[in-house]
Parts: sequence; C-alpha cells; structure tokens
Amino acid sequence: MPASAAARLLDGHASGALARARDLPIDELLELIEKSNLRGRGGAGFPFVEKVRAVRRNADGEPIYLVANAYDADPGSPLARTLLTRNAETVLAGVAIAARAIGATQAYLYLHPEAVEARAAAERALAQDLEVDIEIALGPGGFMGGEESALLAVLESRRAMARQRPPYPASQGLRMRPTLVASAETLAWLPPIVLEQARAATKLVSVTGSVVRPGVYEVALGSQLGEILAEAGGASGKLKGIHVGGPTGGILAAARTDTRFDFDDLRVAGTHMGSAQVRAIPAGTCIVNEAATLFAYLAKESCAICVPCRVGTKRVQAILESTYSGLGRDTDLAWLDELGTHMERFSLCGFGITAPSILRTTMREFADDYRIHIQEKRCPERICKPVRSRRYETMVQP
Amino acid sequence: MSLLERYTQPAESQLPTVSHMGEIPSGQPTCTIWIDGKEVTAIPGEAILRAAQRAGFDVPTLCDDEKLAPAAACRMCLVEIEGYHRPMPSCHLPVEPGMKITQASDSLFKLRKQNLEYILSDHNAYCMPPCQVACPTHIDIPGYLQLMSNGQHVEAARLVKEVLPFPYMLGLVCPKPCQEVCRRGLVEEEIAICQCHGYTGELVMEMETAPTPFPQLPATGRRVAVIGAGPAGMTAAYYTALKGHAVTVFDMMEKQGGIARYGIPEYRLPKVKLDKELNSVWQLRDTEFKGGMMLGRDFLIDDLFTQGYDAIFLGLGAWRSNELRIPGEDLPGVIEAINYLRMNSEGNPVPVGKGQKVVVMGGGFTTFDCARTSRRLGADVTVVYRRSRKEMGAHYSEVDDAEHEGIRLEFFASPVRIVEKNGRVGGVEFQRMALGEPDASGRRRPVPIEGSNFVIECDTAIPAIGQVPNLDFFEREQGVRKSKRETIITNGALMTDRPGVFAGGDAQMGARTVIECVAQGKLAAKAIDRYLAGDDMARVAEEIAEEEAVPELIDIVPYKPEEPQVRMPMLPFKEREMSFQVIENGYDKAGAEKEAARCLQCVCPDVGRCHLQRLSLEHGLTDNRFHRAEPVDYHDYEYDFSHDFILRDLNKCINCTQCVRICRDVIGANCYGLMGSGYDSIVTTPWNVSLSYTDCVSCGACAETCPTGALMMRERDLQTYELDIVRCIYCGDCVEVCPHGALGETPNFEMSTYARFGRTVLAKEELAVARTWKPSEEIPLDGHNAPRPPEIRPPGPPRWGA
Repeated sequence: MPASAAARLLDGHASGALARARDLPIDELLELIEKSNLRGRGGAGFPFVEKVRAVRRNADGEPIYLVANAYDADPGSPLARTLLTRNAETVLAGVAIAARAIGATQAYLYLHPEAVEARAAAERALAQDLEVDIEIALGPGGFMGGEESALLAVLESRRAMARQRPPYPASQGLRMRPTLVASAETLAWLPPIVLEQARAATKLVSVTGSVVRPGVYEVALGSQLGEILAEAGGASGKLKGIHVGGPTGGILAAARTDTRFDFDDLRVAGTHMGSAQVRAIPAGTCIVNEAATLFAYLAKESCAICVPCRVGTKRVQAILESTYSGLGRDTDLAWLDELGTHMERFSLCGFGITAPSILRTTMREFADDYRIHIQEKRCPERICKPVRSRRYETMVQP
Repeated sequence: MSLLERYTQPAESQLPTVSHMGEIPSGQPTCTIWIDGKEVTAIPGEAILRAAQRAGFDVPTLCDDEKLAPAAACRMCLVEIEGYHRPMPSCHLPVEPGMKITQASDSLFKLRKQNLEYILSDHNAYCMPPCQVACPTHIDIPGYLQLMSNGQHVEAARLVKEVLPFPYMLGLVCPKPCQEVCRRGLVEEEIAICQCHGYTGELVMEMETAPTPFPQLPATGRRVAVIGAGPAGMTAAYYTALKGHAVTVFDMMEKQGGIARYGIPEYRLPKVKLDKELNSVWQLRDTEFKGGMMLGRDFLIDDLFTQGYDAIFLGLGAWRSNELRIPGEDLPGVIEAINYLRMNSEGNPVPVGKGQKVVVMGGGFTTFDCARTSRRLGADVTVVYRRSRKEMGAHYSEVDDAEHEGIRLEFFASPVRIVEKNGRVGGVEFQRMALGEPDASGRRRPVPIEGSNFVIECDTAIPAIGQVPNLDFFEREQGVRKSKRETIITNGALMTDRPGVFAGGDAQMGARTVIECVAQGKLAAKAIDRYLAGDDMARVAEEIAEEEAVPELIDIVPYKPEEPQVRMPMLPFKEREMSFQVIENGYDKAGAEKEAARCLQCVCPDVGRCHLQRLSLEHGLTDNRFHRAEPVDYHDYEYDFSHDFILRDLNKCINCTQCVRICRDVIGANCYGLMGSGYDSIVTTPWNVSLSYTDCVSCGACAETCPTGALMMRERDLQTYELDIVRCIYCGDCVEVCPHGALGETPNFEMSTYARFGRTVLAKEELAVARTWKPSEEIPLDGHNAPRPPEIRPPGPPRWGA
C-alpha cells in the first residue's frame, strides 16, 4: 500500500454528514462505525465502537459527556491543531455525530492553550448548528495535559493528574459520569464513515527531524516507515535511527524502514503509535544521549502521582546521563532493564507504562552506543560532553 | 458503584462499614473471592485491600486510609488479579465475585522493593542515628550536637550526662565507636562526636557546681556501697546518688579514677582535670569516698551488709596483666604493663629511660599506652603485634600517632622466648606469622611460619596482651561466682547470684573500653534502684535486654552539602618528646559549634510509627543503590516549623497525598495540594506558604494520617487555650470542626480543654475565671513540677525576638 492515500481527513468535507447521521437509527450508526474498523487515533488504538457501546451501556438517564481531545500533548506532533486549522467542520461534525451516538448532553473540545489558530478555526466552525452544546476548553500546557484521565481532572478544575483505571471514563469520567473521551482525529473519521461508509485506513503523522519537508501528513495505516519519510521528501542526510511514537516512543535503527506504521506492527517492533510522530534521527547522533534527553523531558513532565514514573524517570535519566558522562558500568544495562520492567509493570498510566520502550529499543538496536560509552569510556559519535561528575553508588549501611 | 464514586454519594447510599472486628452486618450481600488461594468473604464493591486486610493479609500500603477515596499513588498495594495483564492497586479496585488474587509473590515482592527503593531515594531524611545505636551508653548524640550548634553548651552537657556522667574524660579516651558509623562519613567525613562532648565536659567543669541531667531525688534512706572508683564504679555511684540513695565508694587506691587514673598516661588524660570531673559525684548529697580500702584485704562483702548497706556494686576493674607463657618471662627486665603505667602515673621511678631499648608486645590500648609512655621517657620503642595493623584493638589514630612519635611497628610476629643476656633481658625472640582462617571473633587467626625466627634486642620487654580482674579473694566470698576467664558472673540485670550484689565493668566483662564500663555502670545503677524498690530482677533483666537490642537501620539516601571536619588542635609531634603534656588541646567555642553543626541530625521523631520504615525493614531494604549522585537528583527542602501544632518537613514527604485528601474531603480546609511539576512535585501548601497562612484549623488530621514523619503533631506547650469570652459568639464552629471531639457543646456551651493532663471540662465558674487567666503563668503538671526537658528535636520555630 502506498503511503499517500486519499487525504480523507485533511481535505475531506462533512456537509450533510450530520443530517445523514440524524436519519440513521443508532444501531445502524454503530454498525457503520464497526465496519469502518475505526481505532482510537490517540495512540492506544482501542476500537472506537467498543468505547461508544460502553458509554451507552452505562447511560442511566443522567448527563453523559463527550470530550474531543485536540490537545496535541507532544509538541512535535501538532496533528489535531493542523486538522482543526484545515478542516474544523469535519472535526466538529464528528463531535456532533459521536454526541448523538452516545446521547451526550454536553461536549467539550479540549485544546492546547497555544493552539491559537486551531481555536479560531474551531470557533468559526462552531457557528453552524451542531445540535449539541460544544464548549471549547483549554488545557494547562505540558505533556500530561493530554492524558485521557488527566484531562478529565483539568475539566474538573484540578491539577492535570492521571487517575487509576478501571473505572474507565466510559463508566466514570467527567464528574463521575459516563464520558466518551476520543481524539479529534478519531472523531473526524465519523463524517466520511457516515457519508461514504469509508474505512478508517489513513492516519495523520508528524514527520520531523532530518527530513527534507518536515510536517503533518496523512498516510495509509500500514505504510512502511521508509515510505512515510519519502512522503516528507526523504531523509536530508544519512540517518541513524527513526524515533516513532513521540516522547515515550522507542527509537528504531535507520535500517528498519520496512517496519509497518500500524498499531500492532509498531507494538511488535517495541514502540507504539503514541503521538504518531516519526522523527528521523541523523547520523552522528549518540543514542544514549538521545535516550537521556527523552527521559529528562519525561522526568520534567510526569504528573508525579505515582512513584515509578515520578522517581523512576528521574533515576533512569541520571543513569543514562552518567553513562554518557563516562561513568557507566557493565552492570548498568541489566539495572536499566530491571528499572524498565518495574516502570512498565507498576506505573499508573500509559505515560510510565510506555516510557521503558525507549530503553528497550535503544538497548536492543543501538547496543554498540551503550557498549562504547560503558567499556571504552568515549562517545561513539564524539559529541557527548560529560554532564555529571558523580553517579549513583550503592552505600552499604555503616 | 465504584470506590471513587462512593465518596461522592450521600452517606446513606455508601457501602455499609464493616466493623473493626471484621464483622459484616447481617443482611449485607457478600461474595467469595480467593486471595493467595484462600477463600475470603467480601462485599462486592468494597476495595480488595479492605477485604484482604480483614482476612488477615498484610498487604503493604503507604497511601491508603479507610476514610479517604483511594489515590493508588504509592503503588505498594499492587496485586496480581486473574484476567488483568498487569498488577492492579488493591486499594482502588472494587471486589467482584469470584476474583482470584495473588497478593504475595516473589515478583510482587521484588517490584515493591524497587518501589520502596525509589521512595527512599527521594526521602531526604533518616530514621535512627547509627552513632546512638553504636555508643554503648546510647548518648543522644544528634540532640547534644544540635544544642551545641545553638550555643547551648550547658544544656548539651546535661543531655550527655543523662547517660554519661564524664563527657570530658570520654572525649579524650574513648575509642569512638560512634564515629566509625557516623552517616556524615557517607557525605565526606564523620563528625568529631567525642571531641564535641569533650568540649562541653571541659566547659562545665568551670562551673561551681557541675550541672546534673535531672535534679537529685529526695533521700530514700537506702545505702549503696560501690567498690572501685573507676569508670564503672563512679558511673554507678553517680546515677545511684541521683536516685536519692546514699552512696559510699571504696577503692584500693588512695585516689579516685581507677584504671583511668592509674592506667591511662597523663598525655592522654590530664589527672587534674579528671579529678575535677569526677568530683561532680561528690557534689551530690550523701556521697563519700573511702580510699585505700581493698575488698578481700580490708573487708569482705558480708562486712558491708553488716554495716547496713542495702546493695553493693563491684566495679573492681582488671588489674592483672595476662602472661605470655613463654620461657624467660620471669627474667629481670620483663615488666608488667599495668604496674608500669601505674608506677609512672604515680610519679614513681620506672625501669625505662633515655637511650634504652624497649619492646612492647600486643596491639591494644595498653600496648600503646606503654609504648608511648616509654617513648616519652626517651626510650627507643618497638611494638610487636602478631596480626596486621587492621586487626589492632587500639584506635587507628592512636597507632598512627605512635608511628609519628617515632615508635617502630612490627607486624605478624609472635614472641617465642625472652633471650637472656647477663642475667636479665637481652632481647625477645619472635616467630613470623601469617593470617589463616577467621576465628570466632571474626579476626583472622595468625599461623606461625616455620624457621622464620628472629630476635629483637632490648633492655626492657613489656608484654601488654590484655588484662584480667584479680579475683583471688573470691574463695573467701559467699554466693558470688567467677567464670573461667576470671570474671564475675552476673545475670542480665548485672546482679550476681547473691541478691543485692551487682557487678559491672572490666571485672564483669574482662578488660574492655572505658565507654563500655560506663555503660555498665549506668545499667547497674538502674538495676540497683529497681532492686531497692523491690522489683523482680528477672523482669528488669528482660527490660534491659529489650532496651539494648540493636535495631535494624535503613540506609536512606542522604543529600547534604559537603563540609570538612573541624580539625582537633593537637600537640605537634616534636613537642611530644620527653613530655607528658596532653596531646589533644581541645576545641575552642567556635570550632566546637561549627563541628556540632555538621551533624546531619539523622534522627526522626516518627521512628517506630513510620510506615515507610516498617515496610522498608520488612522488604529487607537496608541499602540503597541511588546514593551519592549530583545534588539535582535529590531534594533538600526548608522545614516549616512555623505552625503552632503541626510540624512540616517536606524532605520526608513521599507524595502519598493522604493529607491532601483528608484536609480537602474530611476536614474541608483544603490546605494542601501537589505542587510543582514532574520529579520536583511535592505536596505542600499553595505557594508553599507557612501552614499558618492557610485555612488550617489545627485539627492535626494530616499529621495523624501521614505515613512518615513529614507531618507531625508538635508537642503541645499549652494545657488549655485562652478563650476570650467577650469575643466568643457561641457559634459552635470550633466544636464542629474539631475531629477529636475535644470540644463539646452543652446547653450552656461549655468548653472542654485539651484533656492530656487530666483536666477536661471547665465549669461555668472556671470559664469566668478564664477571662483573667494568663497562659504565661506556670501550671503544675500532675502534682510534681519537674522541669520540662528542653525541647530540642525537631528544632523549634524561630522565636520572636530571638
């Protein structure tokens, strides 16, 4: 399948979709969605229709909410704001259709505070009659603001902190009521599905890094990573790796251009769809340094509610930093692996659960970078400058 | 209904509360779940954790409180549930019928341990000071160091004297077991703990009357005889006298001090000052010293009982040197170590002088006292020890100093015979040794090497390989026994087989350090007091064993800026030749205070109640892999001690958010929140202001629920609060918010006061008087007005005007 497919989202239209959806009985609407094979575009790839059905099951006559997540937590992947800027009508029609599907009384369009253009476009599109009350809500900024349970906390005027699931938002979301939280991109699929029985076969992707034309593209799900890079004009030089999935995603070796860009295939490769950012890492980059930088970002962005994420990301960052500062030891790799397992098993939300993929992929695909740093005490690319003079030591009780 | 929802429901629709006895109300639908294979009856919808706790499973948790909505923050209560592909928090997940749960498994244990290691690595505080544990007398070392750093030196001396009456003496001669384990050593260098109390001891010597830790109790009319005026005896006498008993101290020597006076040379411990410090015992009422009286020669134990003494303490010391048991030991020129030191300290001539060659055999304190004394007399000294420097019993500083003073050290050599020359000592023949397998004491046993013999020529040979008590007179005593090692046999309460006769110090343990003897003197005084009160001595022995049990310590990651030790001014090595001048010149005030301020204060008032400490011990987390990195890896917060009732130490906060939830959801004051971002997030007040500036109602619920020592109730200074009746509008708000029921509403609206000291409700008349009551007036506590011990820890708030 070629990477460029019909751009259904960025250039599609939604006229008549809402009217068509209104005419459809709910069962048929759900059947259409099911047939489209629409999976959540927020990164996890959960079948959308399941979520809708779960919310409907929990309906009891009291208020039900819909939150369209257009937050773009990953600053390198402005998918929702691009979509809104270019095609706000489709997104809002999708919100309205979903609201009808679940019987929502109130919908929110949840935006990043810096997405000024997207907000303006959304406000323009809101002028049309959408048959549901859609309110624009602004998040706090920062990575955690986009997490599905943290954004519910934000809408309840609390700190953006993740909440343990279950209960899922579908049963207890906003104000403890059944809530459908879906990404703007997912919802934007509803008009084409209703109008044309489209199959949800494309995905917005943000191609960044060392490519000729970085930007947001719509590609076919299942395209190879190489094809996606070609879409952006191809690599602008020799590559060392491809970082897929945003800040918590893994880094694959540059040679793995045949990896398919799909929820399941990426998971098999050790990373995930995440924020759908595909970043080309140029040759001459030290991957240990890269991993440390990612963990430094995560340690800064953690919501701090759970221990493995709040403390773990910081500790892993420091171990990686001491490794590239020439203080690494052979035992550090096994230790990082152990800390990664703990973080993956014990974290509260997807943030901590997925973060170890950085460790797993880089240690697997760039073992030489680690080895040279640890054993030869030098940077494989001769770029790392020591940032630490001390590393973690085990102190035995005096 | 989920657990989160439960807390948003009106009370009547919430889950019925299961009683603390674990009884489920009748009529309540229940279901069966399996925890670790055991069938458990649970209520559908209640937390798995709650059902598990009721069934007797000890699921670890640090952020759970029954009163609060679950947060699943600490990640300690995670359990494996069939059907879930990752561990789930049992505090958060409701029970569903038929669940199969694993709450204890090797993998969970390991993951929880990792979790605790993370928590402890960002818990910039400590549980227990290892110095206090290591010190045989258990001085409150962080306490007196803090007082010293505040400039309260007399108070510091009083605190030390609670367990150690002679801080000056020990400051000079103690082998410093405390300093070996000092946690400051993990940062850079240990605190000079001994020299610090040495300074306070020297300072209070200048006072007309030495300060006592507590006032001497009224006379009891009981009489106690203490035999031996050494460290053990004098300590026992001091604390016995403080308890109000009359004490007579007998000693075979004319002067007080025992082995500390006669066995420790002047350059280590000046005797004028020793006398000054020991005289603090005679400043107490009903104490007397009888010198030149030797047990077994001048009197027997029976005689003392006949004279009306109610109890006797035997602190006889260990005055007899061990023999080498090699040929030639009886030659002239072989001298007994203790006798030699004694003759020298009494100013009598000794057979060592300028230009002579002296060989001292051994590796303990007496060895070096003999060697360094001989060196000061001008001799050419060699110390020969059969193991290595590391195994020497003397403190390493003493060994180093001896070497610098010009004493030769010879290791791995054991004497085989004394060589005769002209009818007296001409040298000592040694055999080389190698280290073999460790023996019972853990030190490696020396093994001789065949054919490696050599002779060191000398004029005087001093065997100093340990001492034993001289208990020859025991044959004439009734009811007291000695061991094969020539020590007095006692029970755990230091009482011999003869009731009322106690023994301690070197005579009971065999030759040991001064501080161990002081510790025994202290314990003996306690036992004697209990004996005189008629208590069961077996019970006393148990109590002492419990108190002396060594607790487990957890190694938490310390973060403190580095600060090197303040060096003790020492007499230059050059000036030590032919001079018995004291070599440690002592700190000055500024030096002592600076050194004391280096103390990490690694002590927490929450020890024993802290759940983090308990879980860490349960998970065997005695050391931590995240030490010693850069300051950015740790947090070092300012304390908030500005609130009158609640102490806040953010360094101990583990972000469990229990205080946030209880203050918001139960109390309604909403003082706390998780602030900051990422790793630097911390639970604190908005803008981190003092708790006094929040809506805090001083209820203490946060301190009560805090699993660590981050929030603690402050010791209450007031017994009752001043109520301005003129301004009170009888609104009853205080009654409503008080979660402890300390305030009650009656038809007349009376106010009940804090009930701690026995006073509960103020009558109407009293209320009227209360208008004129001044809180500054002294109020008798429970009928006795013993002065309050100084409030030292945790440190108080800055006082107004201070």
